Amino acid sequence: MITQEKSSPGTVLLILPVLVLLVLFFGSVIHLFSNGFYDDGEFSTRYFRQIVNRSDYHMVFLRTVVSSLVVAVLSVVLAYPIALLLWRADRWRNTLLIVVLVPWLVSLVVRTYGWIVLLGPRGVINEFLAWLGIIESPVKLMFNDLGIIIGLTHVLVPFAVISILASLLEIESNLEEASGILGASAFQTFRHIVWPLSLPGAFTALMVIYLACIGAIVTPILLGGMTHNFVGSQIYQEVMYTFNMSKAAAWSICLLGLSFVSLLLLKSIERRLLKGRN
Amino acid sequence: MPVSAQPPGQDASAPGSIEIAGVSKRYGNAEVLSNVSLGIDPGSFVTLLGPSGCGKTTLLRLIAGFIESDGGRIRIDGRDMTGLAPQQRPIGMVFQNLALFPHFSVAENVAYGLKLRRLEAREIASKVERFLDLVDLAGLGDRRISQLSGGQKQRVALARSLVLEPSILLLDEPLSALDLQLRKQLQVGLKDIQKALRTTFVFVTHDQEEATLMSDKVVVMSAGRIQQAGAPHDIYVSPENLFVAKFIGDLNEIPARIAAVSDGRMALESALGHIEVPRAAARGFEPVQGKACSLCLRPEMLEAKPASALPAGGAVQVKAQVVDRFAVAGATRLLLTCGEQRLSTVAMTHAAAYLPAPGEICQVSFDPGHVQVFEPLGADMAKAFGERA
Repeated sequence: MITQEKSSPGTVLLILPVLVLLVLFFGSVIHLFSNGFYDDGEFSTRYFRQIVNRSDYHMVFLRTVVSSLVVAVLSVVLAYPIALLLWRADRWRNTLLIVVLVPWLVSLVVRTYGWIVLLGPRGVINEFLAWLGIIESPVKLMFNDLGIIIGLTHVLVPFAVISILASLLEIESNLEEASGILGASAFQTFRHIVWPLSLPGAFTALMVIYLACIGAIVTPILLGGMTHNFVGSQIYQEVMYTFNMSKAAAWSICLLGLSFVSLLLLKSIERRLLKGRN
Repeated sequence: MPVSAQPPGQDASAPGSIEIAGVSKRYGNAEVLSNVSLGIDPGSFVTLLGPSGCGKTTLLRLIAGFIESDGGRIRIDGRDMTGLAPQQRPIGMVFQNLALFPHFSVAENVAYGLKLRRLEAREIASKVERFLDLVDLAGLGDRRISQLSGGQKQRVALARSLVLEPSILLLDEPLSALDLQLRKQLQVGLKDIQKALRTTFVFVTHDQEEATLMSDKVVVMSAGRIQQAGAPHDIYVSPENLFVAKFIGDLNEIPARIAAVSDGRMALESALGHIEVPRAAARGFEPVQGKACSLCLRPEMLEAKPASALPAGGAVQVKAQVVDRFAVAGATRLLLTCGEQRLSTVAMTHAAAYLPAPGEICQVSFDPGHVQVFEPLGADMAKAFGERA
């Protein structure tokens, strides 16, 4: 009799990719920590102290967290009506979904440059407002937090649409009819049934988008400029322009910690929000 | 036709009455309901029975107001319902998938409609408790829906609708997802609750046994039309056409030809030979000589006798061979062949009963007065039985 239980060469082959992944992941994390805590060949917490003490660095962290939260909330708020529309549009759902996702076919950098064309001091929006006579001199729409928020929101709204739509589609088809026949108006049905049942999707979107934002690099560089750094773009600068790997590593470790703490906080809020559900 | 088992003297404007007059519904080219008329008495248990696609669920959704009819009127409690949304109608509904709110507890599900009506918290709590008690769920108010068994969910759905005390409750195959034991239990429970509250129940099912067991009135539907409406026993005993005869209960259906028609009598030619039956045996059509028809006999109308038995006065007797014999809960069912024709009989099993073994030759005897003759089924209705017309 042949037993399938014994580990065959095939099983070993299956473990291999996992091993590679583990080695690469933990290897790089270990490398990151050794870089972050060593400077000029000896143990040092210099760059961590720098981050703790310099108020301009505090601003970078504050900007990253606040802007990311704003982007996450804004994306969910903008995506919710779109998701509702797609949910309602039975026959057109797939077509409309493609329209929502088409921007993803264009590279992030190209799309962000598109925003520069729109938001720049001599960009389409400023020219148009000037032409209307609403403004005298160009309004600053980019190289500030506003530009970063607009750019990131644009990139991340489709994520939110998909996440919210998924949870709307999970609502059993005739819960709305049941609510109606029990006496609820369309608005009451939305408020008491559809909205609470779509919350898990909306909150997942909020979480994913927030986490994607605090690690963002390209959009803050292009739309924030040198003066409005995110943690991600700060690290990019340390690596690419000042070649200070230890400093970059220290920042990366802090970003990792920030993500981790954020995730724990968001998860506990989610638990409280969806208490008693399965 | 004397159909319903209702106490007389109830008028159409009493709470719980439904009057459906000439209602039609089309989806594109498909006519789902054509010119359906039906009266439902207050406080009665009415079942819409038919194979899938017969229009029974569409009719229920029209009564609920989820869809609008293309023609005709529906009156509830004497009021015309045209243009009224479901929330404006005095009805409750239990859905096939139950449609319980998964983010509410059992009690919150039941309280939902009461809260929408802005009742006082104390009144809501006492009503919820009373109706949870009614459906045997006392003490389970704090459970999540996902923690309940199938039968318990069923009863939450029932309580959620009944707590609003609608004069009419619509039920769309609410038992179809349950296993047989639980289903039988709930059938009885449902009937008890209906009797206690005197609410009009309109129940949709494709299960003829369920329909006959529970209803005051069964409405047999097929191909978008009502084939027959009446008390379950009346429909079984005197079906108006072959569809109804076959859909309710078991039936021996024997292809036949009308050999002769005279005043009060007609002669039929079939695998059972030449049989004379009363002319009134022809149901729902005018017998004409030479016409093809179906000769129908319920299994309990056939009696198996020993091969040597002499025909009793007036009875028709034909020779047959036993194919198989089944004992089912106090009754014996025989499967026979008479030439090419298959026949089944059923009789109570008792000591003196004649019980031929498979392979044995016997006689089948029946009273020609019990024969019912129908026109063959049209193509649209034969489909329900997996046949071709």
